[in-house]
Amino acid sequence: MAMEDVILGQLGFIAAIAMAVIGVYGFASSRSLVRQLLSIEVLFNAVLIMVVILMSFSPLNATLLAIALISIVSGEVIVVVAVIAAVYRFSRTFESSIMEEEGV
Amino acid sequence: MPEQQLMLLASSLLVASMIVASYYVIKAKDLVYASGALAILGSLNAAFIALLGYGLIAAFLVIVYVGAAVMFIIVSVSMLGGAPIETWEPERGIISAAAVAGALGIIVVSSGIYAAYTSPTSPVDLGRIASLIVDRYLVVISVIFVALAATLIEAIAIARRRV
Repeated sequence: MAMEDVILGQLGFIAAIAMAVIGVYGFASSRSLVRQLLSIEVLFNAVLIMVVILMSFSPLNATLLAIALISIVSGEVIVVVAVIAAVYRFSRTFESSIMEEEGV
Repeated sequence: MPEQQLMLLASSLLVASMIVASYYVIKAKDLVYASGALAILGSLNAAFIALLGYGLIAAFLVIVYVGAAVMFIIVSVSMLGGAPIETWEPERGIISAAAVAGALGIIVVSSGIYAAYTSPTSPVDLGRIASLIVDRYLVVISVIFVALAATLIEAIAIARRRV
C-alpha cells in the first residue's frame, strides 16, 4: 500500500471524526430546529467521507452507495425543512421545545 | 514526488478548512450564514472526495446536495427570517460529543481501519455504473425513486397544512 494512501485515509478519518463530534455537539446543545438540521447535515458529511474510505476496496459499490446516500439525504432535507416551516407558521419560533409544550 | 507532496498539502488544507467550516455551521449566530457555511462545507467535502479519486461522487455531491438540498435550506431559512433567540445547553452537547469522540476513536484505532483506504487504480467508469444499476440494483434504485417521490409529496402536504 502506498504511503500517500495511508496518509490520505488518516486525514479523511481525522476530518470525519472531527466533523462527527462537531455535528453531535451542535445537535445536542442547541434547541433550534434549524441548527439541529444543520448539525445533522455536518454529521452526514462525516459519514459520507467514512463510507467512501471504508468502501474504497470496491470503487464501483462505493460510488453507488454514496449516490444513494446523497439522494436519500436530499429527500430528508426537504421533509425536515417542510416540518420546520409548518412549526414556524404555528409558533413563530424555531425552538424544538415548543413541539413538546404544544403537543404538535 | 513534489506532486504527491502537493496533493498531501492540499488534502491537509482541505481537512483543516472542513473542520473550520463545520465549526462555523454550529457557531454562526445568523442561521443564513450557518446554512451558507454548510454549502461551503459540502463543496470542500466534494473536493476532498475528488482528491480521494472519486470524481463522480464529488460531482454528484456538488450538483444534488450543495446545488439543490443546501440551497433549499438557505432559501427556506432566508424566507422564514432570521433566528430570534436561540437556547443553548452546552453541557449536554459536550457530554454527547465526548462520548462520540471516545467511541469513534476507540473503534478506529483498535480496529486499524484508518489504514483501510486504497486509491482506485482507474477512474470509475460511468458506463459500468449504469449497467450495474440496470442489471443488479434496479429494484433498489426503483425503491429510492418511489420513496423520494413520496417524500416530495409528503413535504408539500406538511408545508401546506394548517397546524
